[in-house]
Amino acid sequence: MSAALRYSLLVITFAMLICAAVVLRLGASAAAGAPHVEFNADNIGPREIENLTSQSIPRDYGLAWQTMEQALDENRVGLLDGYFTGAARQDLKSRVVSQSKSGLHTRYEDRGHKLEAIFYAPAGDAMQLRDHAQVDVQVLDRGKIIYEEPLNIEYMVLMTPGADRWLVRQIEAVPSEKQ
Amino acid sequence: MKTLITVMGVLALAATAAASEIHAPAQTSAGSAISISTSGSGDATFYLIGPASATKQKVQAGSDVPIDGDQLDNAGRYVAILCASDGCTSTSFFVTPGTANRLGLLVHPSRVPVGKANGISTVAFVFDNFHNLVLKPQPIKFSILPKNAKEVSANRESQNGVAWIRISSANKEGATKIGAEIGHADEVRVVQQVAADACNLRIKANRAKENFLVETEPVRDCSGNAIPDGTVVSFTKSDSAGKTTVDVPIKRGIAKVEMPVQGPARITVASGVVTGNELEVSASR
Repeated sequence: MSAALRYSLLVITFAMLICAAVVLRLGASAAAGAPHVEFNADNIGPREIENLTSQSIPRDYGLAWQTMEQALDENRVGLLDGYFTGAARQDLKSRVVSQSKSGLHTRYEDRGHKLEAIFYAPAGDAMQLRDHAQVDVQVLDRGKIIYEEPLNIEYMVLMTPGADRWLVRQIEAVPSEKQ
Repeated sequence: MKTLITVMGVLALAATAAASEIHAPAQTSAGSAISISTSGSGDATFYLIGPASATKQKVQAGSDVPIDGDQLDNAGRYVAILCASDGCTSTSFFVTPGTANRLGLLVHPSRVPVGKANGISTVAFVFDNFHNLVLKPQPIKFSILPKNAKEVSANRESQNGVAWIRISSANKEGATKIGAEIGHADEVRVVQQVAADACNLRIKANRAKENFLVETEPVRDCSGNAIPDGTVVSFTKSDSAGKTTVDVPIKRGIAKVEMPVQGPARITVASGVVTGNELEVSASR
């Protein structure tokens, strides 16, 4: 076997190893971070949900929470660009900026979401959902815990389709009916 | 006796060093100022964490902390935290949306063929002045304002901040305004109603030197609206030389093409899924 061929094989093997490592790492970070989302579209209307959309909504909503939790923990506004748009993105950015100014950050232990689709626009350009979230929240001031509480909280959510994913446009915590 | 003195001393100490407390109203309306009461004494730090803000300020434990309305613009859950020398204590409260005063309106599509039943989807989102979704039911008036016809309106009540309606397009092409109204706020979108598919597509052929000039009659839809220029019309010729299709855009209402013909030929016309008449022509003189 010529030296050139041996070197080429070596380079190709090395490149394949790097690619495999990158793929494994990306897969691991996505799997570890996204919270569990239980999706129910039984009462949706007036438009019926498409099969693909019923898969995209819980996936993208879970990823939105993952990025939001990371943004609020690390005070990184840029993370909010992926899965938020409109008022939701603006409000969360403003929260992160003011947290950062005050030396605060918020940590979430996400115990899962029960997401119910309640309205799907006739043209398929907006979906309203109700999320019953279970999260443990900690607020820290320069590393010291100043508040922690396990929460069962209800959110009213508005999502709209983007180029390749659904984006959270509005997310509003509402007093649950039990409260 | 010594035990009694010790117990009394501990009780007295406990009474003087009572833990700080914080109290907020359980619920308030967006943009309304509130006052959060605290107990205890000494220097303390007050935090207010909301959906779009997280502030921190020095306060005196035992005093009331005024919260301006502009700190409570966003509807959602807020947490007020008081940290004094004896630790941190917190309370939470909800800010609910204010009075409905704004609308977000989604109208789809922006161009619709005439005569399409339920072809226009209109969805209104009800907001307060601070862009919070107002979940309480609100009456919404949807209106259709055609260019040269009477306004048509329909009332719907919003559910969870959303109201919607499906509208059929008119039989005559042209722009129409679709509006939604709540209180003093209204939103209007313009939808262009365009001709539907061609109808009664007809062609005629005339000899032009060695070729045939084939042209359509003015191309219209079934309601008589002119099909817009640029719409493609396909002419297909079958003769002894084989089958040839030529795509021609409509110009000034008609489509025309010059076709060479060998011997007897059949010419057909189509636009989209609509087919027109057939012509039998012959090149023999």
